Amino acid sequence: MNEQFYWVKLTIGVIATIGLYSVLYRETKFYRFFEHLFLGLAAGFILVALWKETLKPLWWDKMTGSVTIDDVTKVSTIDQPGFWIYGFLLPIGLMGYLVFSKKHNWMSRIPIGIILGFWSGQQVQIWWNRWGAQIYGSMQPVWPTTTDSFTRPYTEGMAPADQAYIAAQLYPSQAISNLIFVITILAALSYFFFSFELKGKFLKGTNTLGRWLLMLGFGAIFGSTVMARFVLEIDRMSYIFVEWVDQTSKMFPGGG
Amino acid sequence: MKFLTQLAQLPPEYNPFWAKEPGNDALLWIFLTIGVGIVGMLLLTRVPTRARRPIVWTFTFLSGAFYVIYYLWPMPIDRDAREIPQGFVEQGGFFMKDALPRVADIANVLTFLLLCLGIFSLTKIHSARVVKKQKDWFFSVVLLVAMVVMVIVGYWDYILKEFNDPNALLTKAENWGTVNYAYDLLFDGLIQQMDAAMFSMIAFFILSAAFRAFRIRSVEATVMMASAILLMISLMGAVDYQWSELIKGWTGDDPAHMLNNLNLSQISGWVKNYLQIPSIRALEFGVGLGALAMGLRIWLGLERGGVSV
Amino acid sequence: MSTPEKSFWDKAQTLDRRVLYAVLIVLTATSLFFKTEIPVNPDDSSKDLYVSLMTIDPSKTVLIESDWTNSTRGESAGHFEALMRILMFRKVKFVVYSIADAQAPQVARDALMRIQEERKGQGLKEYEPWVDYLDIGYFPNAEGHLQAVGNNIRTAWGGRKERDDTGKERGIFESPVLSNVRVVGDAGLVVVVSASATIDIAVERLYGKVPLAFMVTGVMGPNALPYYQAGQIVGIGVGLKGVYDVEYMMKYGVNYRPDGATKAKVLYKEDSVVVAPVTEGTTMDRGARYFLPLHVALTLMILAIIFGNVAMFASRRKKKEAK
Repeated sequence: MNEQFYWVKLTIGVIATIGLYSVLYRETKFYRFFEHLFLGLAAGFILVALWKETLKPLWWDKMTGSVTIDDVTKVSTIDQPGFWIYGFLLPIGLMGYLVFSKKHNWMSRIPIGIILGFWSGQQVQIWWNRWGAQIYGSMQPVWPTTTDSFTRPYTEGMAPADQAYIAAQLYPSQAISNLIFVITILAALSYFFFSFELKGKFLKGTNTLGRWLLMLGFGAIFGSTVMARFVLEIDRMSYIFVEWVDQTSKMFPGGG
Repeated sequence: MKFLTQLAQLPPEYNPFWAKEPGNDALLWIFLTIGVGIVGMLLLTRVPTRARRPIVWTFTFLSGAFYVIYYLWPMPIDRDAREIPQGFVEQGGFFMKDALPRVADIANVLTFLLLCLGIFSLTKIHSARVVKKQKDWFFSVVLLVAMVVMVIVGYWDYILKEFNDPNALLTKAENWGTVNYAYDLLFDGLIQQMDAAMFSMIAFFILSAAFRAFRIRSVEATVMMASAILLMISLMGAVDYQWSELIKGWTGDDPAHMLNNLNLSQISGWVKNYLQIPSIRALEFGVGLGALAMGLRIWLGLERGGVSV
Repeated sequence: MSTPEKSFWDKAQTLDRRVLYAVLIVLTATSLFFKTEIPVNPDDSSKDLYVSLMTIDPSKTVLIESDWTNSTRGESAGHFEALMRILMFRKVKFVVYSIADAQAPQVARDALMRIQEERKGQGLKEYEPWVDYLDIGYFPNAEGHLQAVGNNIRTAWGGRKERDDTGKERGIFESPVLSNVRVVGDAGLVVVVSASATIDIAVERLYGKVPLAFMVTGVMGPNALPYYQAGQIVGIGVGLKGVYDVEYMMKYGVNYRPDGATKAKVLYKEDSVVVAPVTEGTTMDRGARYFLPLHVALTLMILAIIFGNVAMFASRRKKKEAK
């Protein structure tokens, strides 16, 4: 890529980033300018993608079909017939825009209803595909098959037959871990399903335990989310202080 | 029945139920279809109020029914285009198998047309603000101008690449012209960088919020904090590694030693595998059951606010 | 009426947020300039991901679902770039498509172009569109699209056309990239590089039909790990740690002992599996650059939480003592 252009592009990107970051100090007109610039460009890009990424390849090309004409024999062969029935999609899709009409806004629910219908129908078949293996994976064995040792022995250097024997056993330490897994999932599920007022010490206790264990999950989600958010900030710092500074020093070698 | 047999016997791509040979004939059919659709739309504007709900629900139910029947109906496995279905069950299976990609196309096109509804709404609001010279109308001008510029440059770049570049030279930056540079400047120089900046600001807010509000005030908060801190430490590879080196010193690098279980990656891995994963799974399972129930309610027209009018 | 004087701990709790912001900026920006390789113990899930990528049959095509934009560049770009480098090193053909965002295809194109330019600069072979890879764009209805791909990839992508190496538009299944794919299971692997819930859609529609692997952001990681535990995906890289793990293994391999070394840097659960490092082009890049600043930022976060709590307890104690 042209070095000068790359520098201009980086510089504009840095100014825009600083413009948006200015809200961290306080909201100013400088920030609002870049906020609206961002919204406008992003909206414009969606309109470009409307034809380029969607309507052209998924609607127009498929609707009109295509023919290849051999350069030598001039014989034409059909690559893809035209699915003329897709013509209906334009008026149906446009009905969505009647949401702004006071009189006919109910018609906007037709395309929305079609999409929701597709989604609803798929739920029936996808549910097991997603949850079947997970339900199976939650059925962990909790009774040890051996008490030769509390934990699984270290197997490197052993004969393959001994390694295979050890690998097939469930040692007490693993059984306890599995039991904790099962208790965690049952307690957390009970917190979800028994959302009405509970009577009895056992149910109440399970519910409380479920709440605590769910917090463990939320803690993990929080920690992982923190990593993600910090990395985005680090990336912006890299964009400004590494990429832009590097390119600037390349453009103006004597300047710094 | 005879009609279904005829349909199912044809190779999927030549099924006249939805396909025509490319050319003027096909174009005529397309415009006819769009015309019929528009007439249908106009007719719908005249339906009485009490018929609206059943109409919307019929569309929803039929859309959902396709996938439900598809799931329950016996389907051909790895169909060859020359295979001829025998009997009603096979004919139905062949027909539905061929119809699935068409249904996916329908969903793709309608979804994107509905996504653009947001842009339409944005344009409407900001145009009104400019026309009425409401407060901060200048920013609405910025938004609208940016949108128009992006559309012009975006389509210009697209036309150059799609129609004026038979050898695909413009896939490489060294062959770019002014418009291609302008498009890259707007997309990669501005949209992408501002997108990244917007999302990265959450890091600042999350730090500030954690400092002010993440307090040990209950058992729940304490458990959550301990879990979060353990996970954050385990993400710091250097801490994990140094700790494991320390343990190696204690154990004399004996891989069978019990103390190896004190490695940070071992502890956090155990907490992740036996406490965090089941609790997140239970959480997601609850959401999954809810989605299934919601799906059935929408499909059967029981959900108010979904497709009801 | 005089207001009671605020103690140090009271003031600490109401510290101006902008001070914290400034500390974060200064610390992360400064630490970017220290280039140091941090030794790590890669996560088991990252090791499985790397082993899967390095052991795919090169004659099989990989399908890449690129569902990220620059809003998660810090993590997703690292994942995508590492994936490109591994596949190009192993000469595996691939198809890129997106289902999450209209911007995603362009972002993937730009990232791919960066890697191509990098390889060109290193004197390595560039990947040719049509011959080595296909970029087939965006499909807005994620659910319906993946459902159709799982059902019959030939009809789901049947109408898509791309320019061949002579500039002529042809159906994508005529390309050497997809000519060997009749059903989705013919693909070597589907890798979902995602910053959103499209991972759920992929499992729901493709699990059992083709092996799946994920490269996800930290936000999506906890949601994705149950799939790994249940064996629905072959491997997963989570967040920047996942990026760094993969880059580290690209440099040192798995169970791999270079000549003279007595011990491998990265050990795998199966002793018999030995995976060599990536021996051409760049290995340690974005993950390595951002890993130290991540340590700094996470330390700041932990200290901020601890300091906030200490301040709360100290302030309470002071108030009790005053009473």
